[in-house]
Amino acid sequence: MIFFLLLLVLVLVAQIAEFFIPALPWLYHAHVYIVPVIVFYGAMALPFPLMLALALYAGLLLDALTVQVIGGKVEISMGYSILLYGVLAGFMHGLRPLFVRGRWEVHCILSGICTSLIVLAQYLMITFRRGSLIFTPEIWWQIAVPGITAMAIAPILFWFLQWMGRMTGYSTLSERSDFE
Amino acid sequence: MSRTNIIALLIFGAILGYFLTFGADSTRKFKAGVYQLLAPFLTGGSGLRKQITSVRTGLKSLDQLERENTALQVENRALRATNQSLRDIEHEVNRLRHALNYRERSVFKLIAAEIVARDSSTWWRTATINRGKSDGIETDMPVVTDVGLVGKTTTVSDTISIVLLVSDENCKIAASVEGTREQGIVSGERVTTGLNPLLDLNFLSKQADLKPGQKVYTSGIGGVFPSGLLVGVVKIFRVRELDGQAQLTPAVDLSHLDDVFVVTGRK
Repeated sequence: MIFFLLLLVLVLVAQIAEFFIPALPWLYHAHVYIVPVIVFYGAMALPFPLMLALALYAGLLLDALTVQVIGGKVEISMGYSILLYGVLAGFMHGLRPLFVRGRWEVHCILSGICTSLIVLAQYLMITFRRGSLIFTPEIWWQIAVPGITAMAIAPILFWFLQWMGRMTGYSTLSERSDFE
Repeated sequence: MSRTNIIALLIFGAILGYFLTFGADSTRKFKAGVYQLLAPFLTGGSGLRKQITSVRTGLKSLDQLERENTALQVENRALRATNQSLRDIEHEVNRLRHALNYRERSVFKLIAAEIVARDSSTWWRTATINRGKSDGIETDMPVVTDVGLVGKTTTVSDTISIVLLVSDENCKIAASVEGTREQGIVSGERVTTGLNPLLDLNFLSKQADLKPGQKVYTSGIGGVFPSGLLVGVVKIFRVRELDGQAQLTPAVDLSHLDDVFVVTGRK
């Protein structure tokens, strides 16, 4: 439970930190996202009900802090990010036995892919509202780079969170025998 | 699937369903509430970032100094650091003096604000300012600098507000071109590869024949932006099938925004 609460705090800190991380000028001004990596780690490390709670919390924060209300229009309705996080975290949770057996590299790659999927889903939703589906190389880069950076930071973040889990007495290693 | 998991899934679905029913007003209120809760962290983070940037700038000059003169390294370090901090203060004083002058000579009632955070998402161009309802700010108020138009407020909480920048595709501004009768709608581009992107001026007549360097001002139509605010400068003009379109360079350097003013009315 302490570990879960720590993950909630970390998600909040990461969400605020994202405001101050500048876009990468040498990569089409793509943004760096940390929150999805923490949520996807939680999806692997936490039991199903807590995984859903984490997805709900992260999705709510994402909706509240990024989605814009202009005039009487909401571009992405509240709740869509919760759904997005819920589905993707549920998918990652399905691969939990692999993670418990110590195969975390698959999840690092998947964290990157899922992060890009979130950005892509947001783009498709705003495109649906604004009209004219445009896909230029710049758009593909802005979708791909957050995934690539998430993939790159995932091993360090996973290692840190694993260490934090051990410090708080939470470890998935105890479940290893169940999946072997 | 165990019973606990099914119950968890049902609760998740119920909460999700609740949020999906939110309309624009409820969403705005919820956003304002969350921003209000996070306001101390956002303003605190902004101060921290400034300190880190300042220290980094100081260290850069120390590196140069080390290369230039190893013998006077220690003494020079101290002198450069002091000098740097004095220069920072001087720059700050000049900037504030400039802003104060602008506020005094402006025909608008202005509330000075500081940018505390930039947009954290890929698809929206926004900035967060440290002024809110308690300072008299409301939704859809124009935000300017002494140079020109920056954007408009969208979500306003008690002490913090979100500004939709002119470079966002959703920020639509009725505008007219200096020295002509041409009027059109300025909006940002959906995807930009720079922090200071170009703006589109659409719905011009095909005969407009605008020249690079012509200034584009708000026309006052629509009610949000008062007339006479500089939006940008024409970069290129092209004729499309049905209308003419100009690309503008924004008047304000959006990548280096520190202080802005919220227009609350005319004097």
